[in-house]
Amino acid sequence: MAMAATLALGAVAACSGGGGSGSSHGATIFWHGYTGPEAKEIAALGQEWNQAHPNQKVNVTFAGSNDDALKKTLGAFVSGKTPGVAYEFGSSITTLAKRPQTQDLTSLVKGAPDFKWDDFFPAARQAATTPDGKIYGVPALVDNLALVYNKKLFDAAGLSYPTASWTWTDFQNAARKLTDAGKKQYGWAYVNDGTEDTVWRFLALLWQAGGDLLTPDGKKAAFDSPAGLSAMQLLHDMSVTDHSVYLDGGDQQYLNLFNSGKIGMLWTGPWDLGSITKDVSYGVQILPGKVTHATIAGPDVYMMFNKSDRATAWAFLQWLTSPEVHVRFSIATGDLPLRQSETQLPAYQQFLKKYPGDKVFVDNLAKNATKSRPNIPEYSKISQALGLAVQAVLLGKAQPQAALDQARDQVNSIMAGA
Amino acid sequence: MAVVAADRAAGERRSARRGGRAGGSGPRLRRADHLAGWAFVSPAVLLIGVFGLVPVVWSLLLSFQQTDLTSPGTWTGAANYQKMVHDPVFWQAARQTLVYCVLFVPITMLLAIPIAVLLNQKVRGMTFYRMAVYVPLVTSTVATGVIFSWLLNPQFGLVNAALGKVGLPQQGFFQSTGEALPAVVMMTVWGWLGFAVIIYLSALQNVPRELMEAAALDGCGRVRAFWKVELPLLAPASSFLLVWLTINALQLFDEVYVTTKGGPLHASTVLVYYLYQQAFVDFDGGYAAAIGSALFVVILAVTMVQLWLSRRASHYEGN
Repeated sequence: MAMAATLALGAVAACSGGGGSGSSHGATIFWHGYTGPEAKEIAALGQEWNQAHPNQKVNVTFAGSNDDALKKTLGAFVSGKTPGVAYEFGSSITTLAKRPQTQDLTSLVKGAPDFKWDDFFPAARQAATTPDGKIYGVPALVDNLALVYNKKLFDAAGLSYPTASWTWTDFQNAARKLTDAGKKQYGWAYVNDGTEDTVWRFLALLWQAGGDLLTPDGKKAAFDSPAGLSAMQLLHDMSVTDHSVYLDGGDQQYLNLFNSGKIGMLWTGPWDLGSITKDVSYGVQILPGKVTHATIAGPDVYMMFNKSDRATAWAFLQWLTSPEVHVRFSIATGDLPLRQSETQLPAYQQFLKKYPGDKVFVDNLAKNATKSRPNIPEYSKISQALGLAVQAVLLGKAQPQAALDQARDQVNSIMAGA
Repeated sequence: MAVVAADRAAGERRSARRGGRAGGSGPRLRRADHLAGWAFVSPAVLLIGVFGLVPVVWSLLLSFQQTDLTSPGTWTGAANYQKMVHDPVFWQAARQTLVYCVLFVPITMLLAIPIAVLLNQKVRGMTFYRMAVYVPLVTSTVATGVIFSWLLNPQFGLVNAALGKVGLPQQGFFQSTGEALPAVVMMTVWGWLGFAVIIYLSALQNVPRELMEAAALDGCGRVRAFWKVELPLLAPASSFLLVWLTINALQLFDEVYVTTKGGPLHASTVLVYYLYQQAFVDFDGGYAAAIGSALFVVILAVTMVQLWLSRRASHYEGN
């Protein structure tokens, strides 16, 4: 489908030629932080592309962990050796969008109806778009949170497995029953390092209760609502009153503890499923709900930084994220599909067979991952303020209302530009 | 450094006694000698200039700007310094840095002296013991941090398990606002102890045997000789360690980054960690540079004290 556009753009690329900053021997540099099977598959796909497009070669390069992608890219701007394409966290878009090197993809996307932008899952599209409607990235990954539980612990506690209609009360009760202080066994785990890892699970709770982070005009805090209070109260009750939550200090031991049967339930994404050991029989269910069963997505994007090899970069990204190619990447790596149409392909059944746990996450993308974090430059500071509030509540250092009030004041002053 | 300086000073005095220095010194230095001298020191001057002075000056300039470190900044005068004065988290970080220094430096030094005395005995396998004490210093901070995080895990760590066995209450360590900083102190004392021990050990071995023999002849017991002869002679080593450890303590970063990330609730945020957060998480380079400049002034003051102390110490040795 995308072939026609690709060929047309290929001609343009041949005229503009390579040799721009950051391209080696005319090939467009593609930076990624993939490791393991993902690294192997992206390299194979790069080779396949280069064989079919000798005039639009792409140099697939490992640029270090994705955690450092933003720092590396900003460093590249200073040195002038910018990559044509780089894998970036969704949260980095607002920082990068302000840079002259960053390519605005709006016209490319709008000018390529065959690219079928609306086919991408909503959370992925939102993550690539800034509030002014400009598109700066092509979706690279959409993750989201679901409830992963240890069946053995549920059986031992005489509990029936979580259902899609589970409420917060069901969840809290199950966590309490799964907790056994004597055996050092906990119902749930919460990453409590005050970073975005702490914040995004709270955002899912906030949305489930019908609340939102900011007011509709995006100018003020809105999480100090009854919905926000009920979310904080749930965290307080489970952590401080029930002691049913293992607080992970940020060293990510929760997964080891889940593997050794010390934690009954996790709110986590598909990336953790591969690390659950064979002997643990686990199930995956959508998150419990209050008003909705909202989940939160952590989408990442491919961004473009060179005007000179824009055509090649764009052609490659269209090909890479086309349903037929991406579903192969999914099968090789366990990454979720990016596009709704991927789930209609025959190959998708192969994906489900290989990664049965991923089905709930894919369904979540269409149904429950409809909201996303605001793509605004202030978000990183908002996240820090909220992270402290959630942490204070979990540790029992602040009452839910007081923590919300303090965070609201901080966020309002951040939004006012102070 | 003080030790080295003191030794060198003593050495020069000795050679002076032996018949004065070689000629060519004094005001009548030839022009060619000048040039040769500069040629000899130029690599060092260049390195220190490029990697020491230039960044210091550049960072000072940055501190008067609003900049994200990658695009050109705008001059904002003293705005960053004003912000700093009114930033409660900055003051919390400054206070915690001070508390850290006050705990870390004396504990390390006080623990190091008895260990150095023990390692100064003639016992079989002493090389092994000395190496064992020094190993933590050459262990990577990241490895240390990961292992301590696991040992001090409140629910599943070995330390709490041991405390439980002897009936002591369970601690929160890195995850408790009250204990995070002391836990970092504990970890860094473990890491730096070997360094302090080596310095004290070398000082103990430099104690002239004649002095100890004289003390023994005068009827002074082993314990008393330690207090009256050896300990006073450790003063230069102590003054060096005091300053060296303090400067290192003021620059604490890795251990915090690896274990607590400054938390929980800023409870273990120290100045350099806060600076890092401002510069590389929030991309507020100007403010981070201002914090760096403030820290620079403090470290400069500590270094002045070091110079003053080391001069005093070498006078002491000379007498």
